[in-house]
Amino acid sequence: MKKTRIRYSNNRERKNIFKHTVLLVLTFFLFFAMSSVNAQTDAQTDTQTDAHEFSYAKIEVNGLACPFCAYGLEKKLKEIDGVESVEIDVEEGLAFLSMNSNQKVTREDLEKIVTNAGFTPGAIDFSDKTFNPKDDR
Amino acid sequence: MIDRPYFIAFLLGFITILGCSENKKENREQALWKFNKEIPIDSISPIGIVAQGDFLWLSDVDNNRVVKIDLDGKILEEYSGFQRPMHIAIQDSKIYIPEYTSDTLSILENGTITTYPLKEIPDAIAGVAVEGSKVAIADFYNHRVILQQGESITIIGKEGHNDGELYYPTDVAFSNNLIYVADAYNDRVQVFDLDGKYVKMIGWNEGIKVATGIKVTETQVIVVDFEGNRVLVYDKNGRLIQTLDDNFNQPTDVEVKDNKMYILNYSTGVISFYENDEKKD
Repeated sequence: MKKTRIRYSNNRERKNIFKHTVLLVLTFFLFFAMSSVNAQTDAQTDTQTDAHEFSYAKIEVNGLACPFCAYGLEKKLKEIDGVESVEIDVEEGLAFLSMNSNQKVTREDLEKIVTNAGFTPGAIDFSDKTFNPKDDR
Repeated sequence: MIDRPYFIAFLLGFITILGCSENKKENREQALWKFNKEIPIDSISPIGIVAQGDFLWLSDVDNNRVVKIDLDGKILEEYSGFQRPMHIAIQDSKIYIPEYTSDTLSILENGTITTYPLKEIPDAIAGVAVEGSKVAIADFYNHRVILQQGESITIIGKEGHNDGELYYPTDVAFSNNLIYVADAYNDRVQVFDLDGKYVKMIGWNEGIKVATGIKVTETQVIVVDFEGNRVLVYDKNGRLIQTLDDNFNQPTDVEVKDNKMYILNYSTGVISFYENDEKKD
């Protein structure tokens, strides 16, 4: 009788232990899966942030005839909030900008600055990828 | 017996001929600059030049630096980190360097750089002149010259195209209590007194295409014609006495010292060197 009771007791314990173990493992895998998804989501978010951290603009400028003109335009463009860098190609009459996309710089902003600097703006192109001043004409 | 009208006509003609001869003689005395050679200054995009002893200081705007070179064009010293240095000036051992982008005026002396305290805020300093305690800067985007003497400020000129008005001035020079301004995009030089009063104009009649640089000596006013690829030499009355046009390519500035003239060519990175054996400045 005692043996029978003891066997029953062991079987129940085994079942409980097994149940608890399964639950524990399932819980572990659940957390693991959730953390993996979050990491992937964060990674995606980080990637998206990096891709849009800067935006780029190319401005055609008429009248860039001298270093005072070119570097004057550079000065004015650099004064715009959100503009990170400016490169002027005097020969081709182009200005290349990189901008922080957290601060919106509009086409109208750029046209106004170029005009106030004493020049006539031509086409203005925006891109999420950098323009290569050497290749892009 | 000569009739009186004929005698008077003869006398007037004689006086006229005598006067023309004197003018030609004066012109010959002044028109003495002769091209000697080109001095290559590789890797330098020069805007401003001043002489110091047997050396030259240049502002290299594309590379944001000021360099000291010998008379063969070899770089001896280099100072970087400026923000678009433009027309420079020298007094004693101090080189005055206007920084176009940062609106500051730096002073380089014995390898040390300090900042000159400007009392009035400019917008793009294109040139500077220094004489004693007087400092004048060409304030490009404000179309004016700021004259600072100690705590005193005099504003000279305003935007425009009339007498006494400026349009993107790029250089200044002191001489005999007057300020000469390279009124670049009015294609002329204008002269003011130290109170800012307009005195006269030089070069309006020679078809200058952007008067970028200026040098004033005891007897001459030398004007650099950037897009005309010329250098025009005037006497102090504003009379043109010589035009230099020996293979220039976008000249930006000129320096004269000890009968020698140095003209900067921005596009080709070359100094055009002239000599004057007959007149000491």
